[in-house]
Amino acid sequence: MEHKEESYNEAIEKLRLIVEEIEQGELEVDLLSEKVKEATRLIKLCKEKLYKADQEVKKVLEELD
Amino acid sequence: MVCPIFIKPINLNASMFPNDDMSSVRQEISLLELNNRVKGVLQQAFPATYWVRAEMSDVRQNASSGHCYLEFIEKHPSTGQLLAKVRGSIWAKTFHLLKPYFESETGQAFASGLKVLVKVTVEFHELYGYSLTVVDIDPAYTLGDMVRRRLEIVRQLQEEGVFALNKELPFPILPQRIAIITSPTAAGYEDFLQQLTNNKAGYMFYPRLFPAVMQGDKTEESVISALDKVYEQVGNFDVVVIIRGGGATSDLHSFDSYLLAANCAQFPLPIITGIGHERDDTVIDMVAHTRAKTPTAVAEFLIGRLDEAAGLLDDLKGKCSKRALEVLNERRSSLQLLMATLPALAGGKIERSQMLLQHLGMKLPVLANTLLERKRVSLIRMGIALPGLAVQTIDRKRTVLDKSENGLRQVTSELLSLRRHSLQLNEQFITLASPEHIMQRGYSMILKDGCIVKRASDMQSGDLVTIRFADGDKDSRIL
Repeated sequence: MEHKEESYNEAIEKLRLIVEEIEQGELEVDLLSEKVKEATRLIKLCKEKLYKADQEVKKVLEELD
Repeated sequence: MVCPIFIKPINLNASMFPNDDMSSVRQEISLLELNNRVKGVLQQAFPATYWVRAEMSDVRQNASSGHCYLEFIEKHPSTGQLLAKVRGSIWAKTFHLLKPYFESETGQAFASGLKVLVKVTVEFHELYGYSLTVVDIDPAYTLGDMVRRRLEIVRQLQEEGVFALNKELPFPILPQRIAIITSPTAAGYEDFLQQLTNNKAGYMFYPRLFPAVMQGDKTEESVISALDKVYEQVGNFDVVVIIRGGGATSDLHSFDSYLLAANCAQFPLPIITGIGHERDDTVIDMVAHTRAKTPTAVAEFLIGRLDEAAGLLDDLKGKCSKRALEVLNERRSSLQLLMATLPALAGGKIERSQMLLQHLGMKLPVLANTLLERKRVSLIRMGIALPGLAVQTIDRKRTVLDKSENGLRQVTSELLSLRRHSLQLNEQFITLASPEHIMQRGYSMILKDGCIVKRASDMQSGDLVTIRFADGDKDSRIL
């Protein structure tokens, strides 16, 4: 499953929905593992935005001069 | 306490200017002499001290002497046109006490642009001319003026409906791309960057400096121009930070500007201020989305927002893995339970089947016998019942036949008698209608050549005819 990279807000929103589903739903184990996989991807994405330098942003700001 | 200014009338008598143009002998005096005379007159005319309201301008302190030189001005309240101006001095020994007193009372740096109420002596120096020497200051006046001015700006912004615009902007979840408006040489800027980039959690920030003059007359213009530059790149930033390193006091006056406040209020990104003031909010602080006291506090605030975002993320992550593990554990334990009970379940099932089979095996002969017996009995019963049944059937059939026979006979005789009766009627009718019968009653028939004559015209005179009576015929001739 290839995703276009979400914004932080979009990623958080998706994550929230997945957590809701996992929390209340009687998900089948196969589906559950798929959801967890997706959640892991989203968490990683968010963490990267929080902690890792986004080269693109850096570049844009450097080019402002 | 303003003392009434009492001007002593200047006596232009002979002792002062004894020889005017009218006199024959012209007396000349030197400039110094003239200035000394002016000085003397002024000293006589303004012997006391006076409380004067004025705006300070061009305030500077001589580094070596410690004296403060400035200009007092008065502008037209609405047009801003300069109406009056005078040089002022505050001698080092006064300034040394006056400045801290004023600054601690007002929270303001003793600087240009402030309106002050000062107690002055009027001086005239033969070399430097007319000036005022400050001996005291009333900070309450300045405070009052600042408040009034601030309120005035706030009221105007409110009337224009822009006061709360920046506050109403949604704050970004990740305020990472930060446009910083400050003076690059300010200590506050370094503190801010330090705080931001060395945050404990290791959040990523992208600060970008937009330099501006942060004190003095140029502040308003310079900060607005920096805001304009940020505006050109507005899509590349999440927030704007306006900071300035400050001590206990600062030149906040320049931030109480209507134009600057209006620009900030209407800026499309949330503005966070940290212009280093302990006590008062400037108008910029009031219109900003968020107000912090110092640049460091602004950095803390931004880090706090990222803490919140990270907390939310961790929370979601925790919930996700916790519940997923729970579900997996539930499934696993139910599987284990199933595995544990499977042999017992299977054994039980087999045992039950075996027992059923045995039971069936035992029951089978009995069941078969019973079945056979039942069939035999019913066969015997049928054998016994058969003759009776046959006779019964034959009887039944016979009865039906008998009934049919009787019915047929009856119907036939009824039919016959009906026919006989109608025959009799017919016979009777025929008898009554026969010519013999009719003739017996007196009628006769005329025959010609063996045929009955029905009309007189059918006969001619001389025709030979036969008249038939009941008892016989008579030949006759027509006349």
